[in-house]
Amino acid sequence: MKKTLRQMRPVYVVGIGLHKYQRLSETPYVTLGLTAVREAIADAGIEWRNVDSAYTGTALIGMAASRPMLRHLGATGIAMAQVENASASGSTAFRQACLDVASGISDVSLAIGVDKPGPVASAPAKTNIRDLVGRRIVPFTHFALLANEYMNRYGVTAEQVAAVAVKNNRNGANNPYAQRQKAVTLAEVMDGPPISGSLTRLQCCPVGEGAAAVIVASDDAIDKLKINRSRAIQTIASVSRSERVYRGAKNHDAELTRETVAQAYEEAAIAPKDLDLIELHDAFTIEELLYVEAMGLCGEGEGAKMIASGAVDIGGKCAISASGGLLAMGHPIGPTGAGQVAEIARQLRGEAGVRQQPNARIGMAHMVGVGAVCVVHILQKRS
Amino acid sequence: MSEAVAVNPDLYDNSPGGVPTLRGGHCRACGYIFFPPQSYGCESCGAAPEQLEPMVLEGKGALSSFATVHLYQGKGIETPFTVGVIVLDQGPAVRATLAQPTDSGLKIGDRMHAILAPGGKDESGNDLVELRFDKMESHR
Repeated sequence: MKKTLRQMRPVYVVGIGLHKYQRLSETPYVTLGLTAVREAIADAGIEWRNVDSAYTGTALIGMAASRPMLRHLGATGIAMAQVENASASGSTAFRQACLDVASGISDVSLAIGVDKPGPVASAPAKTNIRDLVGRRIVPFTHFALLANEYMNRYGVTAEQVAAVAVKNNRNGANNPYAQRQKAVTLAEVMDGPPISGSLTRLQCCPVGEGAAAVIVASDDAIDKLKINRSRAIQTIASVSRSERVYRGAKNHDAELTRETVAQAYEEAAIAPKDLDLIELHDAFTIEELLYVEAMGLCGEGEGAKMIASGAVDIGGKCAISASGGLLAMGHPIGPTGAGQVAEIARQLRGEAGVRQQPNARIGMAHMVGVGAVCVVHILQKRS
Repeated sequence: MSEAVAVNPDLYDNSPGGVPTLRGGHCRACGYIFFPPQSYGCESCGAAPEQLEPMVLEGKGALSSFATVHLYQGKGIETPFTVGVIVLDQGPAVRATLAQPTDSGLKIGDRMHAILAPGGKDESGNDLVELRFDKMESHR
């Protein structure tokens, strides 16, 4: 019989660590990754030899990234593998680490997302199925097309879509790990270089380098390693889905998120109103509007109004992208999904400082990857 | 002037004096109509390649969204150019370059038809033509 994550043994986030997301530099990926892992190990208060398995979320570095990096923590002989799932690589590495512990195969597992920008060997380009546009429609134009359709359908203005960047850059300004740490005005967003359709530069996420590490552990390990239980955050749902053929649907991206998130709510036995914060795949401003609706936080066409109301600000009903999101914290690909989990764990512990969402108890991490895939996790602070 | 060579000639046919047609596909098992064509298996029902057959799609439909692209580093077209999603009358949604370089005068719901437009030059300097969609001015 199939089981959900919650029907297996409990799994907790016990350690988080990051290397700042930044523009491409000379820093080797090894340094990026080790910085994040060492911070996560210290945060958990454990030693590297306590870790039973490691999953490296990476899409751009190339084959066999894990051991050349992790051996410098001491080559303990543990299981390790790379996880590539496009933009959801880090999310999927985290899911694998959770499944490892929940199943009982490991007591402690590491998810480490690490990447540096570089040439991409894209499999979809090798299918021999050609279309009429090729690289003329890349992700920013895909979402510019969705923005155009959305604005027309609901009478939403380009300024209302751009307001997402103002909110998320305000949050990112207070995140020392963010690539963009500067609050921006709506005029600055609107007047920036046009990219595609209504999307301007600040409405598109920066893709740089960085790393994010998350250590998960079982109850057994928490006891045995004397990990501080009051800082442990439980993963109560892990859902990974891929796009189906949504005949007649106006927006396939929204449909994929809708059904993935619905399954996560069911597994976690929660409703949208129970969420205190969400780290959402806001690679482009329009996505936040599409997904808050698909997630059931508001009705169809009401996303812009919801964002303007302050309900998704830090301090509002449900803070969205308190980290700054992909738009401000950045989207280094492999790290992004793991970094979302790190932010949610930090928030649920009450350790997010000036970015703290008050009384946060339940958070959701949501990533979408080219292909298309969607990976969602729900985390909860234990009472 | 050298003879025009079509970009992606596998994807369409030029009907003399008429609107170019698109080479799509159809699943005999479930009825799914798709573009671009492929013969690996049906995305909708999983039917084997034997169930997939070519289907000529009329190059006519309605514009469901559009965007003017300002950032593009590839060859074959200068920025700005405009792309759109056209829902063909036979069902599939097709993404294509539009005849208009900018979106002025375009609106969602516009009737569109396929055209063969100049598409730059190939490496040997031959003129290229490519399939684009244009606003149908007189056939409302």
